Amino acid sequence: MKRIAPEDLSEFFTSLSLRYDLRIPILLADGGRAIGNLADGPLAMIGRAVLSKPTSFFFAQDELVFTERDGDLHSPSKNGNNLLVVGFTPRDLLCLHFIDRFFATGERDDLYFHQRDGAVVAVVSGYCGPDGAFIVPSYGGCDLEFIYDGNKEWLVLPYSEAGREIVSSLEDAPEELLEGIRKIDSGMLSAEKELIGQASRIMRQMELPDSFWEEIGERCIQCTGCNLVCPTCTCFGIQDWRYAEHTERRRMWDSCQLGGFMQEAGGHNPLGTAALRTRRRIHHKLAADPERWGEISCFVCGRCDATCPTGIGIFAISREIVARFAHISVTR
Amino acid sequence: MKKTLTVCPYCGTGCMLHLISENGRLVGVEPSTTHPVSRSGLCVKGWNAFAFVSHPDRLTRPLVRRNGTLTPVSWDEAFDRIVTGIKNVQKIHGRNAVMFASSAKATNEENFLLMKLARRVFGTNNIDHCARLCHSSTVTGLAQTFGSGAMTNTIDCIDKTDLVFVIGSNTTEQHPLIGSRIMNAVRKGAKLIVADNRRIRLSLHADLHLRHKNGSDVPLLLAMMHTIIAEGLTDTSFIAERTENYAALAESVAAWTPERASLLTGLTAEEIALAARLFATAKSAMIVYSMGITQHSHGVDNVRCCANLAMLTGNIGRPGVGVNPLRGQNNVQGSCDMGALPDLYPGYQKVIDPGVREKFAREWGGHPLPAEPGLPLTHAMNAALDGKIRAMFIMGENPMLSDPDQKHARKALENLELLVVQEIFPSETAQMADVVLPAACFAEKDGTYTNTERRVQLLQKACDPPGDALPDWQIIAALARRAGYAGMSYESTGDIMDEIARLTPIYAGISHDRLTPAGLQWPCPGREHPGTPILHENGFTHGLGRFIPVKYRPPAEKPDSEYPFTLTTGRTYFHWHTGTMTRRSHLLDREERRGFVEICPGDACRCGIRNGEIISVTSRRGSITVVARITDMVPEGVLFMPFHFAESAANALTNNVLDPESHIPEFKVCAVRIEQLP
Repeated sequence: MKRIAPEDLSEFFTSLSLRYDLRIPILLADGGRAIGNLADGPLAMIGRAVLSKPTSFFFAQDELVFTERDGDLHSPSKNGNNLLVVGFTPRDLLCLHFIDRFFATGERDDLYFHQRDGAVVAVVSGYCGPDGAFIVPSYGGCDLEFIYDGNKEWLVLPYSEAGREIVSSLEDAPEELLEGIRKIDSGMLSAEKELIGQASRIMRQMELPDSFWEEIGERCIQCTGCNLVCPTCTCFGIQDWRYAEHTERRRMWDSCQLGGFMQEAGGHNPLGTAALRTRRRIHHKLAADPERWGEISCFVCGRCDATCPTGIGIFAISREIVARFAHISVTR
Repeated sequence: MKKTLTVCPYCGTGCMLHLISENGRLVGVEPSTTHPVSRSGLCVKGWNAFAFVSHPDRLTRPLVRRNGTLTPVSWDEAFDRIVTGIKNVQKIHGRNAVMFASSAKATNEENFLLMKLARRVFGTNNIDHCARLCHSSTVTGLAQTFGSGAMTNTIDCIDKTDLVFVIGSNTTEQHPLIGSRIMNAVRKGAKLIVADNRRIRLSLHADLHLRHKNGSDVPLLLAMMHTIIAEGLTDTSFIAERTENYAALAESVAAWTPERASLLTGLTAEEIALAARLFATAKSAMIVYSMGITQHSHGVDNVRCCANLAMLTGNIGRPGVGVNPLRGQNNVQGSCDMGALPDLYPGYQKVIDPGVREKFAREWGGHPLPAEPGLPLTHAMNAALDGKIRAMFIMGENPMLSDPDQKHARKALENLELLVVQEIFPSETAQMADVVLPAACFAEKDGTYTNTERRVQLLQKACDPPGDALPDWQIIAALARRAGYAGMSYESTGDIMDEIARLTPIYAGISHDRLTPAGLQWPCPGREHPGTPILHENGFTHGLGRFIPVKYRPPAEKPDSEYPFTLTTGRTYFHWHTGTMTRRSHLLDREERRGFVEICPGDACRCGIRNGEIISVTSRRGSITVVARITDMVPEGVLFMPFHFAESAANALTNNVLDPESHIPEFKVCAVRIEQLP
């Protein structure tokens, strides 16, 4: 384990940017935080939740698939260094594991792994949440982790060869510094995960009434934000851009909350109402994914609840499902 | 990768977002998490605001028509053609034979410059913009009653109100984040009255949904006021202390019983009385309206009624109340503020006031400025048809699709000797032009937009414009220099704002360095002033609020045996106006590919029309073909069409009859018939 003082972080990351294509938590002009380039804002390892999903560096809102010029196809070339993405939360990391497996299963998604292979992932945890709230560390599953002790320093834990190489220049820290932090982590996650799990069990046990989904659907303005901020949403569409001298095929995030998502050419639409679309979104994460992948694909990162203008993010809906149907499903 | 904080280019809600660029190309959007309006959210258009910017159709070179074909030329040649053309027209036909159409899509600084170009460089007050087609009734009506033609309160007030009265606004579709705020307020206990005969999303959440007949807003509002007075529900102290002319109002509504209004509105007298009681007994009640109120031949009367209703119940000048016109375009408030209007200088200073003209002339080099107000846009089109307007300079507007009676608009534009269009895409209007100037879009320039709640916000450049395209402000400044005027040299748009602040009392305290992160709300009269979220708190702009009695006038064209349906027009959630941007944004285009006409199941059945069938819709002005959409959204006898689609242009049908005071066309009511295709 290593240690670094907060005031030394900036220089440390700057030195890494010579070897890596660095993405790091920064303070934006509006006072919010994002993961971006050090040149675009001051380093901000601590503070309010980051809305944009860190998995977007491997699966972007809009990205080039290939270029066609004079009948030849050209794949996008990788820009020099591998990515080093700092700022995953432990929950984001679970999302990343989920989509790593998703994109690797069956037809391996070249475009995703084009960025993902060789990328270094760093989690940030400890007393670094909004107003210094504690974020339970991941203790593995990534290349390295920065854990803020809430007082004077960051503890840096490398978990992979790349991680160990990156932190090699930092000062060693005694393992006992982690002891206090390890003690306080038990049970912190459980309430929210338990609620999502309970909603999932209810949905798998019983069919919720159409009227419930209609009520939720009436509140959906189809902004698509829930999908676009969700680190485990992986749907995309394809568009060809025909310029004078070349054509670009690009792919962009799609949203199952849009009517056109499942629209059939003949006119039929299996997801033709907001109620059906909302049901599908929640069902997919809480009921279908557990069947297919063995786990719920919502890791309660909170982004869809933060971005939804009308309060129907997955956690809010899960809460309503539990409040309204828990007693019914139990009695069945 | 770079993240640039800027303002959404679509509606007047004014959400702020970060544009994400990679190697100079936009690749995504991220909402601002701290902005008071967006609050981590965006609507679908905001999330797709980057999607049209790199489209292959972007205009990249100045074009001049040669032998009937638009041909790429240098900027110098394009400017020469424009300056020579305008000067020739003015020499022969007088300086007022040229018309300038500014743009509610352009920044404040650009609107200011085009206004300056028209008045100072070419000596005419013939400048206007598309507010003429959306909220000119508001500017006229609220200026007369309150002294200021803008939204009185803030969007945040929705969180504090006890009742929202939405009339003529499909808020969740046209101002989605404001509509969402209303839905959230209702969930927290606020009451909601929706007056709109379409079954819009908000109506599903309403305590009372009034499906009154198109064009019957005045009888509805008069009868509500009648009930409030008759049942003693007025705010007597507010009326006594803050208003004038109450007696005249009371007399004018005395005969407007709910029973009488019921005959014209199609509502029951009980529904009208209930609406009146709900509104008047709420501790704080907001009126929210949009083009369902303004786009009528009696649009100003509709606005006056809203203002009268608010004053009658004391719902002005405090949090959670007010008359809140939701402005359509991202910068339509700012375009009005900047004096892109034929009778007003920036800050609503009157052209006819010699002192105002003298002030502007002094700042602009001493040359006298024209004294007579210019032509409103709608009249300018008529004047072009009559040969009185010979040259037109259009910045970022597409009247071929947005003006009423498309045939009329086409003839008017064809009749011009010189048509200049400054655009980002080859719009239907640009394709008719003699000169086309390629402009930078919102993502490629700096400046400010003013949102519907009067919040002046900073737009920041995220990427370079394509080819030779330039920001509108640089094009206008270069054109002014070409025309021999030396007073338009600016280093940056911040310099232009400094000039605006010197000349415009309501913007006097505004400068770019004060606008990050969330802008300032005007009036902001000094550098230390924090801005003004709520208007008329201690007094109206002109002292007392003035009740203005209103007489009912029906719509100009009513259904008859030959044209038995009422057609009302509007917009959809996924598209923006004439579709130049949204129809080039892949996901938005996918969601709504074609024009449609809404028809209720009973009418469709009677006419033998199937859902999805292509039918013809015909008015006295023209005929189009369009897909029928059978839905209970519209009541019997009413059809609804969006105006986004060139191939099913709703404005081929609409009626170019104007409100006599605001000169707004009656987009919301005309008579049509429908037929199956042979």
